[in-house]
Amino acid sequence: MNAEEFKKIKGIKILQKYNLPQPKTIFIFDFKKQEKEIDDFLKNKRIVTIRSDKRGQTDFCPLSVGCPKNKAKQQIKKLIPKGYVAILQEYIPIRSRVSGNILILKNYILVELMGTGPLSLLNREGKVEEQVKLKRGNLKEVEHFGKRLISKKELVKILKLVKRVPAYKLLEFTLRSKGLYFWQMRDDKTAKELDI
Amino acid sequence: MGEPQQKSLIFPLKPWFWTGVHKIKMKKEKIILKGLPASSGQARGRVKIVNFLKELGKLGKGDIMVASFLPPDFISFIKNNSRIAGIITDKGGVTCHAAIVTRELKIPYIAATFYATKKLKNNAEIAMDSKKGIVYEC
Repeated sequence: MNAEEFKKIKGIKILQKYNLPQPKTIFIFDFKKQEKEIDDFLKNKRIVTIRSDKRGQTDFCPLSVGCPKNKAKQQIKKLIPKGYVAILQEYIPIRSRVSGNILILKNYILVELMGTGPLSLLNREGKVEEQVKLKRGNLKEVEHFGKRLISKKELVKILKLVKRVPAYKLLEFTLRSKGLYFWQMRDDKTAKELDI
Repeated sequence: MGEPQQKSLIFPLKPWFWTGVHKIKMKKEKIILKGLPASSGQARGRVKIVNFLKELGKLGKGDIMVASFLPPDFISFIKNNSRIAGIITDKGGVTCHAAIVTRELKIPYIAATFYATKKLKNNAEIAMDSKKGIVYEC
């Protein structure tokens, strides 16, 4: 099975190209063949995150943000016969300080943020608590909406990491007190209309 | 008599087919709501407030759907029903899945109005300019 045919997997793998920090991740295409790899991954972990990907279905794939270690294999077993590839990741506690999306436009960067909770709340349920628009060149803030969840200085520090990312890419991230993690990078060609 | 005013060789007004967008004449006196421009365009139509999946059936051609947000079930419906003129939600933003889908389908969408489901009344006629993120009273 070619991993590159799966958009979400491709979006996770491309993070390495830009040296963006990400949680430890393995992709499971075949449960039997990869059972040992799964066991090794689960060692010394109490909870893991299980995401999934399917050809031609980029959004709304099954997700278990905090799956107990003893149920992880069962969950993965259920996903694979349905045509999904399981994405097993290190669990990042949902008590994270802030999570959000960074949309790279041609001349601007648009950041949408939410406080505590899994990022799926923002993507699937519209929990947007802050929106910041910055100039791409100098990272100067041009528009702001909502309450401040993160200082300008911290935001600029994150955005400097994604400066090399081309336009019309959407990056999902979580900021914890212990570190910053990027979840995936996606194409958003529809964003061209926002580039005014 | 002075020289006659030189007339432009170019059309004085751009016809709608030049811009690719049919601009709707709007009575812009009264702004009812403001939100985030999530998918640009203009629309005019009757408000249909949708709280539950079963209420999606009441959306007629040219209606403006008003909801708290667009969960996955609503998005599947919208993908299969191009009759909706526009969408306004209380929550949401520009990078949510819902916003990306509306931009793909070229449906005007204003997100994060906070009060759309409370302030707008069913069957009221409104106009929306989702490039500016503004909802007007008609």
